[in-house]
Amino acid sequence: MVWRPQSPSIVIQPCRESSDMARIIGAIGTSHVPTIGLAYDRKKHDDPAWAPLFKGYEPIAQWLREKEVDALVFFYNDHCTSFFFDLYPTFALGVGDSFAIADEGAGPRPLPAIRGDVALQSHILESLVNDEFDITVFQDKAIDHGCASPLPLLWSHEPDWPGVVVPIAINVLQYPLPTGRRCYRLGQAVKRAVESYPVDLKVVVVGTGGLSHQIHGERTGFNNTEWDMEFLELLEHDPVALTKLRHADYVRLGGAESVEQIMWLAMRGAVDGTLKKLHQNYYLATTTAMTAVLYEVAQDAGPVDEGVAP
Amino acid sequence: MNLQTVGIEALGGTYVFDVRVSNRTLKLNRFFWNMIASAWREAYLANTEQAMDSAGLSDFEKDLVRRQDWLGLVQHGANFFVVEKFARVARLSNMEVYAIMRGQSYEDFLKTRRVPGLR
Repeated sequence: MVWRPQSPSIVIQPCRESSDMARIIGAIGTSHVPTIGLAYDRKKHDDPAWAPLFKGYEPIAQWLREKEVDALVFFYNDHCTSFFFDLYPTFALGVGDSFAIADEGAGPRPLPAIRGDVALQSHILESLVNDEFDITVFQDKAIDHGCASPLPLLWSHEPDWPGVVVPIAINVLQYPLPTGRRCYRLGQAVKRAVESYPVDLKVVVVGTGGLSHQIHGERTGFNNTEWDMEFLELLEHDPVALTKLRHADYVRLGGAESVEQIMWLAMRGAVDGTLKKLHQNYYLATTTAMTAVLYEVAQDAGPVDEGVAP
Repeated sequence: MNLQTVGIEALGGTYVFDVRVSNRTLKLNRFFWNMIASAWREAYLANTEQAMDSAGLSDFEKDLVRRQDWLGLVQHGANFFVVEKFARVARLSNMEVYAIMRGQSYEDFLKTRRVPGLR
């Protein structure tokens, strides 16, 4: 029986294995290319150019269905849609019963609003802040393709989404960005937060973005499949090695915008321990190595980092 | 100096968008950011010069916008994630803008891609 640091806002629970506590049962890494959302809305599932992408998500969607996952914690970034550089948060957590899906200039998407859970989001927020992650909170803001592009490939939205989303936005646009190590530690703090929530919920964490791509300057179109494979290998078996890379290393190895893969490190921190990879799809069609990976928690590392006692 | 970004500019064809750049180009980036609102798009299309004036763009920036110099905009410090919102107004796809930034024709750029038919 392990006692863990608790947020003062909740009733102390003696046992983390208790079935009435929330738990993280798996993790997903996924690209968030905007054209995935566009192709989805235009029902291009069977288009020969798109089919390898859509088919690559089916085993993940099926697993989420079978496991009856209640909540997805999404580490994503806002692409100057709801936030602008005049006030651009390094980390920000969304609180709300629902979030509109952003119109990014192409008109509203034919999807229901993303569902939220204020009690769960508020608990995670309190736990993070008491754990010295002084994260910004946002409310009543639309969520853009950083989350909404892959979401309908993971969860069916007919008649409505089967669960709730905890959106956590990370600055990967305006340097200084949080370090890879900091993102990993954010993930660890999210794990402590979720696992101290006294409601029986099955939670999956999602890291978005990547893999290799560059979409600005003369180096646009850069890819590096060899590095992408190495990244996936390290993410699974030696994520701490990835936390030692600088942003410049990610930019050199995977292209400028691949630095957003630090959001996958946040996901990995939230499932610290041994993972079992259940599925992987890699499709480099034009400029972004579109990737979808599903991991199940095989052996929980337990309270690897005790965090900061409140 | 940000130790995390040292070496990026040396890669070539890659521009670090940090807060110093952002501070210098805030008005230009806000001008593009506003393009997600239909009222702003309509105002821009109705009177480009007036829209640029009201946004407080410098003469140099106005010239980049008038010429739709995509690479010049990025080199000046426009962030691509707002530049792409302007590309929608200019009725160009991202793939077309990518080709221009590489200094290639669209057709030649597509030949370098594995699945050029992906739309």
